[in-house]
Amino acid sequence: MAARFSAFSFVDRITAFEAGQRAKGQFAVPAGLSSFPACLVAEAVGQLAAWVAMAHVGFRRRPVAGLAGETRFVGEVTPGQRLDLEVELESCDDDAVAYRGCARVAGEKVLELSQCVGPMLPLEDFDAPEAVQQRFQVLCGAGAPGGGFRGVTPPELRVVDRQPGERVRAAMQVPAAAPFFADHFPRRAVFPGTLLLDSQIRLARGLADELPRPGASPLIPARVTDVKIRSFIVPGQAVELEAQLSQVGDVVEATLTARSNGKPIATGRLELSPRGLS
Amino acid sequence: MAQREITKEEIQAVYPTVAQILADALGCDLDRVKLDASLIEDLDAESIDFLDLVFRLERAFKVKIPRGKIVEDARGDLPESDFEQKGLVTEVGLKRLREFLGEVPPGRFRTPMKSADIPRLFTPETFCKVVVRAQRAAQSGA
Repeated sequence: MAARFSAFSFVDRITAFEAGQRAKGQFAVPAGLSSFPACLVAEAVGQLAAWVAMAHVGFRRRPVAGLAGETRFVGEVTPGQRLDLEVELESCDDDAVAYRGCARVAGEKVLELSQCVGPMLPLEDFDAPEAVQQRFQVLCGAGAPGGGFRGVTPPELRVVDRQPGERVRAAMQVPAAAPFFADHFPRRAVFPGTLLLDSQIRLARGLADELPRPGASPLIPARVTDVKIRSFIVPGQAVELEAQLSQVGDVVEATLTARSNGKPIATGRLELSPRGLS
Repeated sequence: MAQREITKEEIQAVYPTVAQILADALGCDLDRVKLDASLIEDLDAESIDFLDLVFRLERAFKVKIPRGKIVEDARGDLPESDFEQKGLVTEVGLKRLREFLGEVPPGRFRTPMKSADIPRLFTPETFCKVVVRAQRAAQSGA
């Protein structure tokens, strides 16, 4: 399967590994992409943590997106650059993995994750455990060739209600089919939480751009806190996104909520700061 | 291992922090968090919230709270097969739960009770007790 281990895989090589404790890895962002969103950098760090966690429990279970206490966006990543990833597990058992980590480009930190928790579920429900284990051996050895990621088309957001600069609600239709579903995951397609967050940030940025801030530099995402993903989002699912803004000094905070059939399925808070203030 | 009973003072000492953490984890107003509320039925908590709660409590109180600790402590030295059978809590298991979760209003213990429904009993006070026990364990070097 061409998409397997490439359409939504963001670790090319594991360069240092301490069982159940920590790891370092790399991902070469393909040069041909038009961009590489910060949420995918977070995904790469999370995937490295997932490798350490899966290996720790003998590839019986795998983590899924659950909680991300704090994600700090420190710098931008452009196609053609290499991400150097680092994770440290705080705890890991059959129920959950707790970890922190970061990504660097040319020695400079671009993203930092802390207080992350992924519920651990049976690996065989999502993937063929043998194939995953074999891939792990490849990553820990010479590494995978890389370059297989072709980018992701963000789902279209259709605004259904807005109070400019205050609050916006938008309908997001998860595609019924997309290459990344073959990789995330082969036995059970799940819309990645990081892509959901990317759409939520897009919506909140659009709303923040409407704030009257004469002469001020543009607002950019500085950090996301208290992300909680309550349930899986499946191909073709209709999701409603909402962003609500509040402003404290130079910093604008957006409360992010995703609902499906009226029920919250993901929540978080985004801080947007003027460029240059972090 | 017999443990001395947890006092009201011990509960009150940790309650304000536990209540605030609960409100943060569940995204609800602090005034909705009552000592005897059912986290699931009154405050709409889901399994991911319990995970969130435990990690937040660990960080705030600098203690370790193993997952599944409440049921494990309630069961005590009772063999698992005597505590639950075919997904249902046995009569003797229910007796242990009633004793261990003394803070839960008696009417909330239903018979038969599925093991998976035990978390429906948990209240903010249940988690105050979890914290107090974890603090005692940390102090005794356990």
